[in-house]
Amino acid sequence: MILHIPDGYIPLWQCAIYYIIAIVFLYFALRWSRNNLNEKNIPLMGVLAAGIFAIMSMNIPVPFGSSGHMVGAAMVSIIFMSPWAGVICIAMVLMVQAIFFGDGGVTTYGANVINMGVIGSFVGFYMWQILKKPRLGGLLNLGKYWSVGVAAWIAIFLAACMAAVEMALAGTFPIQLGLLYMGGFHAMIGIFEAIITVIVVFTLQRVRPDLLAWNSKKNVDEFDLSTDTQDEREPPEGKGKVPPEEAPSQ
Amino acid sequence: MKTETRNLIIGGVAVALIIAILSPYIASTNPDGLGATAQHLNPSKWNSTSNDFTNPGYWNAPFAGYMVSQLGDTKLAGIVALVIGCFIAMGVALGVSEIIKRRKRSDVN
Repeated sequence: MILHIPDGYIPLWQCAIYYIIAIVFLYFALRWSRNNLNEKNIPLMGVLAAGIFAIMSMNIPVPFGSSGHMVGAAMVSIIFMSPWAGVICIAMVLMVQAIFFGDGGVTTYGANVINMGVIGSFVGFYMWQILKKPRLGGLLNLGKYWSVGVAAWIAIFLAACMAAVEMALAGTFPIQLGLLYMGGFHAMIGIFEAIITVIVVFTLQRVRPDLLAWNSKKNVDEFDLSTDTQDEREPPEGKGKVPPEEAPSQ
Repeated sequence: MKTETRNLIIGGVAVALIIAILSPYIASTNPDGLGATAQHLNPSKWNSTSNDFTNPGYWNAPFAGYMVSQLGDTKLAGIVALVIGCFIAMGVALGVSEIIKRRKRSDVN
C-alpha cells in the first residue's frame, strides 16, 4: 500500500544495497531504543505500532483513481522527540506487513524501511523542528500543530519522491514521470497524513500530555542525531530546560 | 501494571480494533499511490485482474492481501486478518522493546 514497494520492482542487487543502508539506520535506532525506552514509553510504542498497522489498512480515496493512508513515521518521531523512534517503530510494522500480509516485499524491505521509516521519520521530525519556530522575523510562524501537520505532509511527499528515484534506478518508472505521478498522488495522500498526525498529537496533548516527550524532556536541539539517553544529554542544573507549557514554541 | 499504563494499552488497542473492523467496509478499493503510478507508467507490474501488484512469488504471506483465506472472500476474512495483524504488530513492538530493555539491564549488572 501507498509506498510499500513489492517484490519484483527492484533488482535484487539493488535490494541488497538498500538492506545494508537500512541495517545501519536500524543499528542506531536500536541503540536509541536501548537508551531511551522504559516502563512508561514501551507500552506507548506497542500501542502506536498496533494503531499504525490498523490505520495503514484504511485506504482513503484520492483524486485521479488512487487511494492512500497514513504512514505515521513523523507522528512517532514527534511524540518521542526522536527520529530514531520513528525508524524502529515503522521498521517493526513493515516487517509484520511484509512477512504476514505480503504488503511490501521481503526483498524490498530495506528500501521500504529507508523510504517510510528513515525518510519519513527524519524529514518529519526535523521539518517540525524547523517549522515550529518563528522564521523570517516572525513572518513564518506556523505554531505547534500546523508545524506538525506540514512536517508530516512533507515527510510523506519526500518519501514518495525517494521511492520514485529508487524506481527510476531500478528501471521500473522513468524518473520525470515517476516523480510527477508519485509526488502528485502522495501530495494528496499527505493531506490525510497531516490531518491524522495533528489529531493524534493534539489528542495526546489533551488526554495524556505526559506521553508526549516534549512535555517531559528537554527540547532536542536541531539536527541532534544522538542516540544517548535524554538524561545523559540533560544540561546540568536545569540549564536549557523548557517548561512544558512553553515547549515547543508556539 | 500501573492503571494509567493499562488504560493506555486498552484505549490504544480499542482504537486500533475499531479501525481494523471498519476498514474492510470503508477503505477505498482504488490502487494506492504506487499502484496507480504502476498502472500508468508500467502496466506489466500491475495485475488488473486482481487489482494488485504482480507477485513474483519470492514469499507467500499467510494473510496475503489482508485476508484470512480460510474464511473466503468476505469482509469477515479481512476483519480477522486486520485484528490478528494489530496484535502481532503490538506484540512485536512490545517484545522487541522489552528484550532491548532487559539486555541493557543485564549489561549494567
